Amino acid sequence: MEDGRPEGLDLERELAGIASATDLETLQAHRVRLLGKKGVITARLKGLGALSPEERRVAGQAINAEKQALEAAFERRREELEREAVARQLASESLDVTLPGTRPPTGGLHLLTLVTNRLLDVFTSLGYEVVTGPELETDRYNFEALNFPPEHPARDTQDTFWTTDGRLLRTHTSPMQVRYMETHEPPFKVVVPGKVFRNEAVDATHEAQFNQLEALVVGERVTMADLRGAIDEMAGALIGAGTRTRLLPTYFPFVEPGAEFAIWWTNPRTGQEEWLELGGCGMVHPRVFEAVGYEGVTGFAFGFGIERLAMVPYGVPDIRYFYQSDMRVLRQFRGRL
Amino acid sequence: MRVPVSWLQEFFDEELPDVGRLTDLLSGLGLAVETVHRLPPAPEGVIVARVEAVEPIPGTNDLKRAVVTHPGASVQVVCGAPNVAPGQLGALARPGARLPGVPGEVGTRTIQGVESDGMLASAKELGLYDHAAGIVTFGPDVRAGAPLAELWPDETVIELELTPNRADAFSLLGVARDLGAKLGWRVKHPAAGLDAGDPAVDDGLAIEVRDEAACPRFTLRRVDGVSVGPSPVWLQRRLAALGLRPRNNVVDVTNYVTFELGQPSHAYDVRALEGGVVQVRRASAGESLELLNEDTIELHAEDLVIATPTPGGGSKAIGLAGVMGGRQDSVVADTGQVALEVALFDPVTVRRAAKRHKLVTDARTRFERGVDPNLQPLASARAAHLIAEVAGGVVHAGLSATGRDVTRPAVAFRPSRVHYLMGFEVPPDTQRAYLERLGCAVDPGGATEEAGGEVWRVTPPSWRYDIGLEEDVIEEVARLHGYEHIGSTVPPMRFVPPATDPTHRGLKQRLAALGFQETITYVFTGDAELARSRSPEAVVRLEDPQGVDRAALRTSLLPGLLGAAAANRAEPALAFFEVGACSSPPRRRGSACWLAGRRCRASGARTCRATSTPSRAASRRWLPSPARGWSSGRPPTLSSTPAWPRRSCGRARRSGTPAAFTPRSRRRTSCPPRS
Repeated sequence: MEDGRPEGLDLERELAGIASATDLETLQAHRVRLLGKKGVITARLKGLGALSPEERRVAGQAINAEKQALEAAFERRREELEREAVARQLASESLDVTLPGTRPPTGGLHLLTLVTNRLLDVFTSLGYEVVTGPELETDRYNFEALNFPPEHPARDTQDTFWTTDGRLLRTHTSPMQVRYMETHEPPFKVVVPGKVFRNEAVDATHEAQFNQLEALVVGERVTMADLRGAIDEMAGALIGAGTRTRLLPTYFPFVEPGAEFAIWWTNPRTGQEEWLELGGCGMVHPRVFEAVGYEGVTGFAFGFGIERLAMVPYGVPDIRYFYQSDMRVLRQFRGRL
Repeated sequence: MRVPVSWLQEFFDEELPDVGRLTDLLSGLGLAVETVHRLPPAPEGVIVARVEAVEPIPGTNDLKRAVVTHPGASVQVVCGAPNVAPGQLGALARPGARLPGVPGEVGTRTIQGVESDGMLASAKELGLYDHAAGIVTFGPDVRAGAPLAELWPDETVIELELTPNRADAFSLLGVARDLGAKLGWRVKHPAAGLDAGDPAVDDGLAIEVRDEAACPRFTLRRVDGVSVGPSPVWLQRRLAALGLRPRNNVVDVTNYVTFELGQPSHAYDVRALEGGVVQVRRASAGESLELLNEDTIELHAEDLVIATPTPGGGSKAIGLAGVMGGRQDSVVADTGQVALEVALFDPVTVRRAAKRHKLVTDARTRFERGVDPNLQPLASARAAHLIAEVAGGVVHAGLSATGRDVTRPAVAFRPSRVHYLMGFEVPPDTQRAYLERLGCAVDPGGATEEAGGEVWRVTPPSWRYDIGLEEDVIEEVARLHGYEHIGSTVPPMRFVPPATDPTHRGLKQRLAALGFQETITYVFTGDAELARSRSPEAVVRLEDPQGVDRAALRTSLLPGLLGAAAANRAEPALAFFEVGACSSPPRRRGSACWLAGRRCRASGARTCRATSTPSRAASRRWLPSPARGWSSGRPPTLSSTPAWPRRSCGRARRSGTPAAFTPRSRRRTSCPPRS
């Protein structure tokens, strides 16, 4: 090698090769071959030692110029390739927002559960305990202890599903009054939601299975005004503060005095202001206290059907919809979790 | 219980308030008003006319030509009614009249070649009451030519929905008593001042009560020389307003008194009573009875019957006591001598017999709730004199009767307890006035309890079965004072409820958040449904189910959830859960989830291509955990679960859904195309 270079370097060709490298791996291979420890430039710099100082200065400058040219070319190309890669990635990852998405599953609670929950929220905020009881009951709890004498016509108003083993499906949530009082001492405030059953012809407003909510408050000096107060509180929480309520005398064997209660409201379906007759209430009958061995206390109870509170505001025209499991009906009440 | 307002008015000297106020008053007394009926008057253009002659029209089955007269005219009409007969007073609808029960206008037309100048109308055609099997007929109290609209004015009837405890309110008198007590008005008793009959005078009748517990009181009163015929128009009108059909003047009076006083009664043709003897006894084995409604029933040994001796020394039943009379003893057209039975029967005996034979009658309704045990002599006098008034005849001076008046036990009542229980004050004088107006005897007694409050002895009237405890008396005071006085308070109470979740709200909300839809299904199911869902066999069965598929209590929630899936075949994917009680021990409450659907493609497009039949769809019971749920964003699916077929997409296959209520359906019926 007459110019003292360890081997020749066709700078133009190498620069073109770098500029045309199509990806970062190829580029890196070029870099290793040219600038690496065992690369062409390194070898040539090592060869400088054999030259005279004058030649070494000239040749060294030349090699450094080549090295700088190559490094600049490598850097340029690397940036270009990286930019391209990002652009390509961006291009490949661009989102088509018009594509149909994957629908996340949507579930929901049954309307009756929603209404029940709302009522339970009202009562728990008033300090009531929520309890539930068995749906399969005995005559004692469903009738006898609640002061329904055998053969009394009051039993006619409760067409009962008797079972072949002599039990029955509870016709109201009131048996839980007895069950709770048998195992607890006053004072207390409880509320009992649950399914009840009547063996009567099924139509748009009558079901063989429906839900009731029952409240029972027993203490030393509980009065009918406290009963009215509880109903007022419930009406206020459901409809709005100051909602009017009405009590009218009526008869249930397990309360005395007994009443039916109604709430003054604006029917959201018709826009009419009217009494919404909800259910029955009264002061716990002394014979019921007697059946559970309570003395010296008074108490009130009230109960009403939950379906009615679901049907009227939501405009459900037929009680049978609640038990048909029709998704077209059920999903209308989603989103109220 | 229907209350014609004009009839109620007769119990008072004061004028009743308008119907709106009246219904408020009754509701406030606990006599719940169900509806108010406005009964129209008899139509215009109808007059009373006498049937002079009737002759069959040849060549027809039952059409007759009747000559009908009224002052100044004699007309000929064609009539098909089986009961039309010469001498009757009927209702002649003249040409041009419009009757509620007849389409179009009454005209002059020719029927089977015979000209008919108007028509003789039935009660149904006239819109008076529901009876179309014959023309309406009137008694001698009306004159031919009178416009019917004047005789039969309009009426307002308040229909009450009475609670079973208020046996006393099953009559006009009972309603009037409550209203009078509320308003402080005196109530006029329809039987006041009537001759009650002298038991010492022999009337040729004899009573043999063989079961005094079941029949504590029995009276018979003879009315001689009656002539059975149509009732006077006022009586017919009242019965029609009650929803009853007038039959004849004697039977109508017994029905009238049932509603007026709340005391059922029965009129026997004395000829049907062998030797004038009436027996009250339990039925004997194999005995049968033909009832007034022409059904023959096989009597049960527990049934209490009214009987009469047979010539051979035996005894035959002629009525089911307190429920329904028999056919053989009933009053017929030529009855001249009537024995009027007014009795008291044991509520449970009557109720059991009526239930056994599935009979619902006005008598049963009253006896099973309890008839005033002191009312029988008064009601007997009222009915007997009313029969004599409307059917002619003479009330016999004698009375055959068993039993006597009773006094209810007094109730110890502390006036201070009204405030204790109701939370409002009523002055003791006012309380006493309320109770006395209701017929209670109040003895202040002067006794005081330890706390210093007074204790009264309150004796309820005989007609109030429902006042036996102090609380009952408190309710009476509160009822008359008005429930509108009840305040609104919150009791001070030391009670801290435990924080529990017996309704499983947490579980339900979590399942819903995971994408499950809650459903609530029937607790009743059938053996086939249980078997199909591989649930345990039924443990509890119903006595009187509403169908074979509702004959047992569910032992798992799967039958209901499978039913829910079957009800939603049109859905591409389903995820249901239910939380509810099951009857299979030991677990009282179960929860179950059910899934069906098809995994979505990675593209996100939902496909619902049919790959299977529903019977192959897998169902599993499991409690999803986040790890195995599909909260990662995939739609409801189990990896091996095929889809419901698409065949019913877009067409609901249910038949039970009424068209009037169209659910807001966002159901996609096909896959969206990929762009």
